[in-house]
Amino acid sequence: MPTVQLDRLLGREVHTANNRRLGRLEEFRAERRGSDYVVTEYVIGAAGLAERLGLGLRLILGLHRPSGYIVRWDQLDLRNPDRLRLSCSVTELQQR
Amino acid sequence: MDVVREVLDKPVVDRNGREMGRADGIVLAIGDGQPPRLEAILIGPVVLGRRLHPSIGRLVGALERWLGLGANRPVRVEFGDIEMIGQKVKVRLAVGDTGADEVERRLRRWVIRLPGSR
Amino acid sequence: MKKIFNLALGIVTSIGGFVEVGSISTAAQAGSEFGFSLLWAIAIASLFLAALAEMAGRIAAVGKRSMAAAVRERFGFHFQVIPLGAELIIDVLLLTAELGGAAIAVKMLTEIGFQWWILPIGLAVWLVIWLGNFSVIEDGVGLLGMVTLSFVVSAWRLHPQVASLAHGFIPTIPHHDLTRYAFLSVSIVGATVSPYLLNFYASGALEEKWTEQDLWVNRLTAYLGMGFGSTVAMGCLVTAAIVLGPQHIKVDSYEEAARMFVPVFGRWAVTLFALSLGIGCFGAAVEITLNAGYVLGQAFGWTWGIDKPRREVSRFVTALSVVLLLAVLIALSGWDPLQVTLISVALTVVIMPIIVLPFLVLMNEEEYVKGHTSGPIGNGLLAVLTILGAIMALIVIPLEIFGG
Repeated sequence: MPTVQLDRLLGREVHTANNRRLGRLEEFRAERRGSDYVVTEYVIGAAGLAERLGLGLRLILGLHRPSGYIVRWDQLDLRNPDRLRLSCSVTELQQR
Repeated sequence: MDVVREVLDKPVVDRNGREMGRADGIVLAIGDGQPPRLEAILIGPVVLGRRLHPSIGRLVGALERWLGLGANRPVRVEFGDIEMIGQKVKVRLAVGDTGADEVERRLRRWVIRLPGSR
Repeated sequence: MKKIFNLALGIVTSIGGFVEVGSISTAAQAGSEFGFSLLWAIAIASLFLAALAEMAGRIAAVGKRSMAAAVRERFGFHFQVIPLGAELIIDVLLLTAELGGAAIAVKMLTEIGFQWWILPIGLAVWLVIWLGNFSVIEDGVGLLGMVTLSFVVSAWRLHPQVASLAHGFIPTIPHHDLTRYAFLSVSIVGATVSPYLLNFYASGALEEKWTEQDLWVNRLTAYLGMGFGSTVAMGCLVTAAIVLGPQHIKVDSYEEAARMFVPVFGRWAVTLFALSLGIGCFGAAVEITLNAGYVLGQAFGWTWGIDKPRREVSRFVTALSVVLLLAVLIALSGWDPLQVTLISVALTVVIMPIIVLPFLVLMNEEEYVKGHTSGPIGNGLLAVLTILGAIMALIVIPLEIFGG
């Protein structure tokens, strides 16, 4: 099965099906299923680096709500790390 | 579980609590029609170098080979061998079985020669 | 009772390593050129350092991580490379300066050229680390460091006017040489708030296995310890102001600075100054070397610690030895220690914002401080410090060029 290293995907731009910029891939949510850990969701952040800088900084800069989307595993095409594309439309996505 | 926040860069310890390093990288297995699976944790400076830039990773790899390391690196810990993920990633194996302590063991051969190494 | 004793010891030993080549040279220059009017800079810088140290101690006691570990885990390696790389470069330079300072001190006592002493002093630093354990090193360095109280004694015996002293604690615009004044105030901050001190303090907390019950010890050690140390730097400034100022002696070398002890200590002036400088620098050299091992071991997840058998921490030992060797080699090149000091101090100021910023985040994360998060005052203070740090970082290089 093809494999990819997480850091190759982390921080990458994610685009919509019609090539509009959605945000950056910031987090992978995983769940234990039996003896495996599987990725269930991706967190795409519009604010990018500031997300990892966290609560304290955001409070100071006045950005309270995290912005961006939660993308289900089947809604994102990972096959080309340099060109991460949604495999659904933006309207189907859950907002953060 | 948030993989980046809770696993990546966390300390990895073996079943006796001995340090194995940090989770420098994570390998995902991607399958058609299936959710991606977390396959393994990678430990090693090569992985860190790659995170900064692919060419730095190659440089570190070349350095390791030049130093006579590189055979079993980066160290790979299958997710199946992980016992628990908390403040540290606890692994079911003993560090000696994984090759994570290769550099430590090599340097120990020198350190031991000095008097007072207790 | 034992806790109180250890606490007292901890406070006292904070002197060792606090007063070293950077603090002494900046304080001496500040005093001789501007009288008492830069006392506020030492006071504020020490408060800044104490606040950050207390926070680092809190993360260590509650979150069980050193600063290097906390930054790696919270922000990732990609971010950490910058402060880590910068800190290592500064540590090597600062270590070089401390070795140089200690060598000059020995030269003042023996009349034998300072470059001959670099290698023996470097070896002595290594031996102390190789053979010692944490308490022996900390307590030893601290107790020997008490000789630096000569600066306080000297300042006391010179009977400074209390009113003028008090005035020095209020920041004022000087009558002359504004760029030089600004440069020195920023340098004092850079000399006082050395990044190595924070991770070293946190690593010490981990070596001594502090827990949540020790948070009051942490607070007292950080504030009283740094406060105690700052009085020595202030003593140096006051003495320089009273003795060297009126004679318009510009402190271009440590030999010149030593003259500040003549009125109070007479023929013991050079000896006492040399001992203070030498022991202060030696103690700092030991701490910086040890910290290099801590930072690398913690960032990369090695087994580390000076209370462990050396064979179990081979990477840790090798790393700190390599750093020490590097500093020894640079010091042997004959580069003027005073110059190296000024550069490391300026670089410290430049990276200050990147050092302070992580605290702003970590102090609000349960994962690292559990219930002991920073309140709005703490956060406000950190925000102010970050901004001040950023301002200083921007102006320090131009100031060094025009006022250095």
